[in-house]
Amino acid sequence: MTILPFLAIAFGAGAASLLTRENGRLSAWIGVLGLAGAAVAAAAMSGEGTLAVGGGELVGSTYLRLFTVLGSVVGLLLALIGMATLSHRHAPGVMLAGIGAAGLALAVSDPRTAVVAATAGGLVGIVVTVVEPATGRAVVVAMRELRALAVAGVLAILAVAWIGRPLVELAAEPAVFGLAYLGFAVAVAIRFGAIPFHFWAARLADAAPEVTLPMLMAWSPAAFAVVALAWADSSVAPMFLPNSLPLTAERAIVVAIGAVSVLLGSLAALIQDDLEHIVGYTIIADAGVAILGLAALDPVAWEPARAWILIFVTVRSAFAAWAVAVRGAFGTRRIAQLQGWARRAPLLAVALALVAAGSIGWPGLVAWEARAKLIELTLSGPIVLIVMIGALVPLAIYVRLAVVGVARPSGSVQAGSDELPRWPEPLPSRPMVGRSDIERAFEQGSHLLAAILDVIWTVPAALRLNRTLIAGILVVALSALGVMVASGGLGVVDAASAAPGEVSGPSGSGQPGLESEPPGPSFQPVPTPP
Amino acid sequence: MNVALAGLSCVVVAGAVVAVSSREARAALLGLLIALLGATLIADPLPGPLPIAARLIGALLACRLIAISIRDEAQPTSGSRLGWPVEALIAAAAGVIGFGTHGLGAPGDGPAEAQAAGFALGVLAAAPIVSSRDTFRLGVGAILLLLGGSLVRVGLGGTPSDLEELVTSGLVVGLGGAVGVIVAGGRVALGRFVIGDDLVAEAGLTARRGAGIHIRSPRSAPGPAAHLDTAPSERTRR
Repeated sequence: MTILPFLAIAFGAGAASLLTRENGRLSAWIGVLGLAGAAVAAAAMSGEGTLAVGGGELVGSTYLRLFTVLGSVVGLLLALIGMATLSHRHAPGVMLAGIGAAGLALAVSDPRTAVVAATAGGLVGIVVTVVEPATGRAVVVAMRELRALAVAGVLAILAVAWIGRPLVELAAEPAVFGLAYLGFAVAVAIRFGAIPFHFWAARLADAAPEVTLPMLMAWSPAAFAVVALAWADSSVAPMFLPNSLPLTAERAIVVAIGAVSVLLGSLAALIQDDLEHIVGYTIIADAGVAILGLAALDPVAWEPARAWILIFVTVRSAFAAWAVAVRGAFGTRRIAQLQGWARRAPLLAVALALVAAGSIGWPGLVAWEARAKLIELTLSGPIVLIVMIGALVPLAIYVRLAVVGVARPSGSVQAGSDELPRWPEPLPSRPMVGRSDIERAFEQGSHLLAAILDVIWTVPAALRLNRTLIAGILVVALSALGVMVASGGLGVVDAASAAPGEVSGPSGSGQPGLESEPPGPSFQPVPTPP
Repeated sequence: MNVALAGLSCVVVAGAVVAVSSREARAALLGLLIALLGATLIADPLPGPLPIAARLIGALLACRLIAISIRDEAQPTSGSRLGWPVEALIAAAAGVIGFGTHGLGAPGDGPAEAQAAGFALGVLAAAPIVSSRDTFRLGVGAILLLLGGSLVRVGLGGTPSDLEELVTSGLVVGLGGAVGVIVAGGRVALGRFVIGDDLVAEAGLTARRGAGIHIRSPRSAPGPAAHLDTAPSERTRR
């Protein structure tokens, strides 16, 4: 099966969900069903094959399939957690449209089309940033978001168009490659909210619904980054071979952005008191490692960079889900008011442990090795150790949260709901009034049917009573998925290592493709510029 | 030089000048619509009829979404501080530079007029993007910036494929929807287009820009929006 069913479901259900925003319940269920359908369509997608559409090509790959499957499943779990914790009901539609645009961007073989699709996908976030009733703060945050999207989008469009022509002609102007590479890398950094471009992203947590943060800050920019990686691999890296362009200054800037994001993002997360801000800054820190992958310009970095992107967006989605569930259970995002949360919600404690294991990892784990490889490839000397330690700072955050969690429960936590299962009060049993055996037999039969119906009718009430328990189970499931991906499960390594092949562009200019499966010579040397 | 393309580029740039300099929101939106519609046709060879139709419909839909958000709005936007003649001259200069540097280091696959128009639109969008606190003007700037980028892309890489045109029309519609949401949200939350220093500071941005950000002095801007251009401390005193 091609990607078309996935795109049809994602965009169709996403649009339907957003158009029915006035009816929150209907909009949410359309979104949830759409996410489930998108997950099925993504799983049924073929990992190879090319579909010609309108002069362009949609190319299937195992990485595309894994990205869309994970995105749909994570989006579905986040949407359900959002519904269980009374979070924003418009979120499912936004997640659908976002993951649909990400899938389209990864599938399109022409990078010039891919960057437009990836830019368009980020726009849906603005719809949920300015939620009703709109506040001035939300409008300011949305304005910054739009500004960042527009600047990043135009940088990427120009960069790709600039060297989207036969390389030999441009080889006479080597500075072009450096500027185009720097422009696209900065565009990726802006989309991720990497430091120093984090002003728009830092306050997003205050305005956007909590469950949409992973889509706005991780999944949608991640698709942008994967497009950038493939483009750099096919268009810029050939110029970076030995005896070719050194691109020293440009790479130094990109490496600096990545390293500073890792260090300062982790430190900023450590000093925050608001859970959503912590989630946001840890995403920025992990995105710094992904940006380092863009700076490597080395065939060896191809697989760890793509694997890391998948790992960090999944694990950070689980962390965001954990924060949403904690707030839903105890009504606060302030760590100072969350003392004793783990005592009242042990499932969430398990989930946090899984998130910590997936995000930090240990030597030998795919996540650990990918991060270490990217840092070693782009940095040298003692800075490697410093950035490695910076990448491990989130461990201190998890320890801090755990210590707070086992303390004596605070007033907010005491007043919140725990994970103990509850069942609605049973209806009183009906008295038997039949006199003969036949009457009693009929009566008992009807009572049995009525009892079954009573049980069925209590299910919605039971769901409402057990929101915290349900949210805890869903967060544990999402965290386990994160650990699975971090350990290389679901074929992450194989999908990430698939080399980009050569696919003719729509204009027949030999534009390198992004995702075609047959591994081709990725780094073809070009003549050294005079 | 292709005279038809040059004329079309002039129309697009003129629409963009109106979009960024007019204080009347509907006039600015009309200018934006002209720029969006005209930019569709700046290519050599022209795209097929279906991609053109998709782009035209996308432009109309985007402007319609913005129009919904400014319905019954009597207040003016902050407009351009420089005025339309200066904006037009700056755009013309940028257009000349874009025309003269066609290809940017290698022969361009598309028309030089597209790159010229793209440079002009990019320069016109700079001020709203960088410094505007007007929700409407920022939205217009964002659309013009991406439109300018896509025009430069046409100048460098030639006519886009049908699929790219379709995705671009989706981007334009998405931009229109996003701008509409922001403008409508701003009107609901603030009752105006312009956000004040207090809100910017509250949202986390320090007031390092100071008073220089104000659009006009109270003396020179009588009318409904005049009080919005004064500093919070002045409003408090009054």
